[in-house]
Amino acid sequence: MLSVLQFVVPEWLAVISPRWWIAVGIVVVGIALGYLTMRLGRRLLIRLGIDDAVEGTAVERAAGEYGTSTVGLITKLAGYFVIVLSVFIAGTFTNIQFADLFLRAAAVFLPQLAIALLILLVGIIIGDKVEVLVSERLRGVKLPEIGVIPATARYSVLFVATLIALGQIGVATTALIVLLAAYAVALIVFTAIATQELLASGAVGVYLLLTEPYSIGDEVAVAGQRGIVQEIDLFVTRIETDGEEHIIPNRTVLRDGIVRMQ
Amino acid sequence: MGSIDDVLADIADDIDSVFLFSPNGTFYERFADEERVVVVAAENTVDADTFVELPVEFTDIKDRIEFGIEGAMENNLVEAGNTVVCFGSIFSDDADTAVRVRVGEDHRSGLYELFTNSRADPSVIRDVVEVALELGRKGQKGSPVGALFVVGDAGKVMNKSRPLSYNPFEKSHVHVGDPIVNVMLKEFSRLDGAFVISDSGKIVSAYRYLEPSAEGIDIPKGLGARHMAGGAITRDTNATAIVLSESDGLVRAFKGGELILELDPEEH
Repeated sequence: MLSVLQFVVPEWLAVISPRWWIAVGIVVVGIALGYLTMRLGRRLLIRLGIDDAVEGTAVERAAGEYGTSTVGLITKLAGYFVIVLSVFIAGTFTNIQFADLFLRAAAVFLPQLAIALLILLVGIIIGDKVEVLVSERLRGVKLPEIGVIPATARYSVLFVATLIALGQIGVATTALIVLLAAYAVALIVFTAIATQELLASGAVGVYLLLTEPYSIGDEVAVAGQRGIVQEIDLFVTRIETDGEEHIIPNRTVLRDGIVRMQ
Repeated sequence: MGSIDDVLADIADDIDSVFLFSPNGTFYERFADEERVVVVAAENTVDADTFVELPVEFTDIKDRIEFGIEGAMENNLVEAGNTVVCFGSIFSDDADTAVRVRVGEDHRSGLYELFTNSRADPSVIRDVVEVALELGRKGQKGSPVGALFVVGDAGKVMNKSRPLSYNPFEKSHVHVGDPIVNVMLKEFSRLDGAFVISDSGKIVSAYRYLEPSAEGIDIPKGLGARHMAGGAITRDTNATAIVLSESDGLVRAFKGGELILELDPEEH
């Protein structure tokens, strides 16, 4: 039996060229390395606290539905990348001509694709996280329209992530960058115009709160309104007379001055 | 057994609405077919359409029911003359109590208005009540303390009072409800005089001597000068006074010169 086996195996080996055996060996090592990457990556990400950071985002929830997690997703991506890479390296040891050119192109393109995918994934996660954070801050505001703001923040992050990812794999993104710039400029300009009254009042409000030239209970006259100060906050001062409450923006207080009744 | 069923049937006979006090999800589901269900709870966990928010967990079941009915009346969910049945829990977390109540005008005790319709924000009143309850439970370093908080309409209150000493809260920006501030309030409660708190919860002053005219103020006999001052200032201004008694340890709330609410810190 043994002699038969000894005889058969070399011949069987000889049919397939040694290059193939090397290629198979590389793939096996690649799979092992990929598996190792998954395990180590998982530990590393968990130690970095990534799993806590992505808690509650849509990606985490979607991943949870398929029985995995964001950490699992990222490590799997890295692991499969190592395995696919080993397959390509193995491919160079075989003599398959038709695949050669394709493989050369793919060897350059594939890492970029993997990085682009990773950037996209991270972008989605950060976008989700931003949405969760913003909506938590706005939870006190019970307006149905307020849901637009967290969504806008999320899609802005997503848009930038998509841009970077597309840039990574060499898609022409000039038009999109122009769009992004226009969007950013519009956002800044409109915010500045919309909030200039608030900003001015807020700046004065900080001064009023810090130095407290008048305080709650004082009788004052501002902008022709005489009454008792009921409340001073960052943006407005509330002054009450008999049955009337005047809400005066703080910038008016500084511009017109205030008279304290002794 | 027949008589027990009869009594229970009498309680649930010919009612206009059902009140559920802090129901759990499955209990609420059982009333899905019922037309007029009002949920009264600290938080609307069952997504009920008609909901009355409980600002504090009244341990007195009577207070809790009166608050719920008054809230429903204010929101036009029930009206005087209606008969309602209330399901609540006293001993366990499950519904173990059924109470039949005929809604009358005398249910408008002002308890609901105290929290929702005061000058100050409802959350500020709730926070001050919480601080007073906590202060009543723990006292100042073990010994019982009294305290007087005047909440809302701070400008007018300041003009109807004078400082007993320097105001420790001058040029500070502290608001009630902040855990650190609650500790500060406890520390300052050994000072004489009242705390003045604005509509938005800013602590305006401590050490205030209130000077309302106390003529014609009718508070229960046996309560002292602190309650008298607290009750009287709420008649002269639109403020709400929350008083912790040093002698009997109860927290009382006054509004419009009248005693609205009495809570025992030991039971909360």
